[in-house]
Amino acid sequence: MTLSRIPTIETRRLVLRGPTPEDYPDFKATFSSYRSRFMGGPLNKYEAWMLYAAEIGHWEIRGFGMWMIHDKDSDATLGMAGGWFPAAWPEREIAWIIWPNKAGKGYALEATSAVRRYFYETQGWDGAVSYIDPKNLDSIRLAERLGAVKDKDARTIDGNDAVYRHPSPERLKSGQIADGIELEISHYCDPLFKPKGMPLD
Amino acid sequence: MSLTQAPILETERLILRGPEPRDIEPVIAFLLDEARAGGFGAAPNRGEAWRWFALNVGHWHIHGYGYFSIEMKDTGETVGISGIWNPEGWPEPELGWVVFDGFEGKGIAHEAAERARRYAYQDLGFTTLTSNIVPGNTRSVALAERLGAWFEREYENIHMGHDLLYRHPGPGDLFERDADDDGSVEAYA
Repeated sequence: MTLSRIPTIETRRLVLRGPTPEDYPDFKATFSSYRSRFMGGPLNKYEAWMLYAAEIGHWEIRGFGMWMIHDKDSDATLGMAGGWFPAAWPEREIAWIIWPNKAGKGYALEATSAVRRYFYETQGWDGAVSYIDPKNLDSIRLAERLGAVKDKDARTIDGNDAVYRHPSPERLKSGQIADGIELEISHYCDPLFKPKGMPLD
Repeated sequence: MSLTQAPILETERLILRGPEPRDIEPVIAFLLDEARAGGFGAAPNRGEAWRWFALNVGHWHIHGYGYFSIEMKDTGETVGISGIWNPEGWPEPELGWVVFDGFEGKGIAHEAAERARRYAYQDLGFTTLTSNIVPGNTRSVALAERLGAWFEREYENIHMGHDLLYRHPGPGDLFERDADDDGSVEAYA
């Protein structure tokens, strides 16, 4: 899969496209910030650039990777979501990060559920996990809103992460999980009432 | 299967081409070998080594250049990497070279680096190139000098720490007679 052939995914509010060199400054800003503390950051400019280059290389080597999330109206980038499977990972991961000043609008939920559907329906994945720092409560809550469940028996990357297992394609199709996600996203789109409490990814 | 838009370059004994999936294991093996990869930037584990392979592919996509894989014409083996390296935080675009275990002492690095340098000057339009060498890497210093490069300064590299910067002769020094050389004998007649 060359970069020019990375599929575009559209959702109600978002357009997901492959990462380009032009998007790098937004990535760098987040990975230089405290926001990236659960993803190996904060990084210096060399490390951030190298990670971004690896994001692009991952697409070429694996045929999937992390999409850049764009706002459909403004085209501004909001974060990244997609699949991540470098050599040390026990299983294919579904991952996400939202830029710090874009959090709280449900973008990660909307983007991540769309990429998961793409992997299940188009690339034939039969499941996926998310590796999450146990202190990263926002991400744990998002994993749970996506229907993922902590899998205590699964292999971790290095023992410092918790494994959340996503529902299988069959469970996702039949159960209430997908309906719940759609309902939550529609509340973000049309905030008849807003979720209470902390901002959510 | 090509992972980049890299061209294919040739020398007498070598093919320089973009990284391909079959290079992953040789590159990882090299990066995990602390003794051999120390001057280049060894990887602490397989995950980091794989990431370096991936980010070199990304480097090609972002800059349009990066490390070529060096392939032996006669056996098809991947025996090293050489190319132009310029991540953010680097002092300047750098000409780099590495030869894998078992292929040293055959002039492969010299042959590959010279070809990659010519590509950078003649095809990419670079006007100068450097090589960053960690102090004590006498083999690399010797090769840099054989390539005509000279010590310019010491500096702090963002990734490697204290580092020596060597500067290569420019395209005008290397290729001035090529300006109107069409490759035929009568050009000098």
